[in-house]
Amino acid sequence: MKFKKLIAVAMVTVMTTAMIGCGSQAADSQAPAESAAQDTSGTAGEEITLKVFSNLPDRKNGQGLVEQTVIDNYMSENPNVKIEVEALDEEAYKTKFKAYSMEGLPDVVSIWGQPSFLDEVLDAGVLAELDESDYADYGFLSGSLDGFKKDGKLYGLPRNTDVAVFYYNAKMFKDNGWEVPATYDDLLKLAGDIKAAGIIPCAMDGGDGWPLAVYLTDVLFKLTNDKYADTATTAIQNADFSNEDIKKAVELLHEADEAGLFQNGYDSQDYGTAQNLFTNGQSAMYYMGSWDASMALNEDIDEEIRNNIRVFTMPVIDGGAAKATDITAWNGGGYAVSASSANLEEAKKFLNYLYLPENLSKIGWENGVGMSAQDETAFMTGNETEVQKQLVDLIGKATNVSGTTINDRGSAAFKTSIESQIQSVSNGSTNVENFLSAISEACK
Amino acid sequence: MREQARDPKKIILWVVLIAVAIVQLFPLVWLLDFSLAKSTEMFTNGLLIIPEKIQWGNYVTAFVDGHFLLYLKNSLLINGLSVVLVVLISIMSAFACLRMHWKYSRVAYTILLLGMMIPIHTTLLPNYKIYSQLHMTDTIWALLIPYTAFSLPQGLFLMTGFMSSLPKEVEEAAVIDGCGIYKLLFGVVTPMLKPSIATVCIMTFLNNWNEFMMASTYLSSKTWKTLPFSVLDFTGEYSSNYAVQFAVMALTAAPAVIVYVILNKSITKGVAMGAVKG
Repeated sequence: MKFKKLIAVAMVTVMTTAMIGCGSQAADSQAPAESAAQDTSGTAGEEITLKVFSNLPDRKNGQGLVEQTVIDNYMSENPNVKIEVEALDEEAYKTKFKAYSMEGLPDVVSIWGQPSFLDEVLDAGVLAELDESDYADYGFLSGSLDGFKKDGKLYGLPRNTDVAVFYYNAKMFKDNGWEVPATYDDLLKLAGDIKAAGIIPCAMDGGDGWPLAVYLTDVLFKLTNDKYADTATTAIQNADFSNEDIKKAVELLHEADEAGLFQNGYDSQDYGTAQNLFTNGQSAMYYMGSWDASMALNEDIDEEIRNNIRVFTMPVIDGGAAKATDITAWNGGGYAVSASSANLEEAKKFLNYLYLPENLSKIGWENGVGMSAQDETAFMTGNETEVQKQLVDLIGKATNVSGTTINDRGSAAFKTSIESQIQSVSNGSTNVENFLSAISEACK
Repeated sequence: MREQARDPKKIILWVVLIAVAIVQLFPLVWLLDFSLAKSTEMFTNGLLIIPEKIQWGNYVTAFVDGHFLLYLKNSLLINGLSVVLVVLISIMSAFACLRMHWKYSRVAYTILLLGMMIPIHTTLLPNYKIYSQLHMTDTIWALLIPYTAFSLPQGLFLMTGFMSSLPKEVEEAAVIDGCGIYKLLFGVVTPMLKPSIATVCIMTFLNNWNEFMMASTYLSSKTWKTLPFSVLDFTGEYSSNYAVQFAVMALTAAPAVIVYVILNKSITKGVAMGAVKG
């Protein structure tokens, strides 16, 4: 009998909740109908809902906060526009992006201006074409739009300029009499000196794969300079990585491991671990992109460390073609508008608003979330952190920039392959030949 | 008593059991420990840390910024409903495949069990397309249907295993006494299935409680988002607010642990009893 009661209760629960479900659905389905009715009436204050699909789930910190601030500003300036944000982190974002591609993307989406992501997307024709002449006054750095173009047509705009740098603890360097290395050999020698002092030379996020791929790009670029893009792309297209420079670059990566440049177990440790080794003062250097310059503004980090963060770029390599001012930098993430957007005009208007220099670029600059892809010199107040000043200087004085890193130059399969196998060639568990033939397999 | 305590076999047994218990419980203790620390304190060398100041604020942030209550309600509702559906359907189908005589009962049973072999990821995009055309994305059904469907084969497997160990004579007696089929199933058979119902309940619940891949693909607005989304609210582009994420995970793990503790006895019994077929 008891059991019967239990079943009865269960059944009642199912039924009521199902009814609640249907009830709220009915309520939901009425709302768009009403707004649709308003749309057709064509009044001046037309209600528009824009959907933004973002790869920045944390809306209260960093880049996510900057994005949300601009969105909130736009809504208060345009009361008839409502912007709904859906945010997922990278892996989930890319999966859902594929799902959306089949049935129509949300109005404004985050994208990456790299072949590994964009090629498939542009082939599917889901992004709306943008008029490049609209952006003549937006101060985009030269070459920063290239990754977002196909056959000369522009499909998206870059958000950041990312530079690969070694962050270092200037006080620790000074106290121990260490110098910023001028050549790659100096760097490896420095690693030995720091290690002898009982400190980790350089914190590396090896678990993720992509920071090691950036390091490889950095070395390859120092070897090849102008020929970098050509060397990398040709190798990927022909599925042939026998190029001497590529081989040498991989060997140099392994040499760094042998010289003990990175922490023990770097090949499986993640981003947070590497960053915290540096910010806790356990390591003297930290290899990462320029976006992490925000460490200098993070009040959770000990003041003595925070105020002493400085950067240097990959030193020159003996026999390499690049000078010290040729830097590894690229424009990764950005935004685009969906081709199937029902509010195409409003979506483009919002995109343009995002990129007005006083919005993403300036607010981002003030929050120290990294270097924008637009000219930021106008926002310099003189109160920037030393790292920010150094980075502006680096980019300003750059004689050549690398563009997209090697892992993002091929297909998605190539990206997965190189990012999952680079650890084993770096730590020596695979030899260079096997690694190169494995990644060329992924290009076929 | 004393002699028993000195028995070396007993001592070894206790040592092994305590060791296993520590290994099992350590992750939870670790989770709680780190959820009360600051993000920057996390990467020290020790296994456990003593936070400089206990950060109850992590839980407040988790609750408020992580939309914890809304997501908890959704999680409980969706998981609860899918558990009820799985139990109901698996009892009925187990009875139909095992006790009722019809031509294709074995075939139907095999086909249903084949569902266990389908990886969730392969169904992700096709299902999205179907839902999208039926206008079912971003509704409760978008999660309820796959959660029920993917747990059903396992449920059916356990139910049939257990049901085949029940004596047929009880059912025959009931039929002779004039019992109809529904009364037979829900009044006579179901009460005897209690241990395996508990097992199916908890397995379905635990499987779906932490599911994120389908939820993130099929849902887009907050209305039906489940608890794993709460962790996402603190994920940055490169680095995340780990301490608050730990607080969210501790809060998320709590209901699952409670359910497990309550139903623990029945689970072990259910799994073991289904194993022996008579």
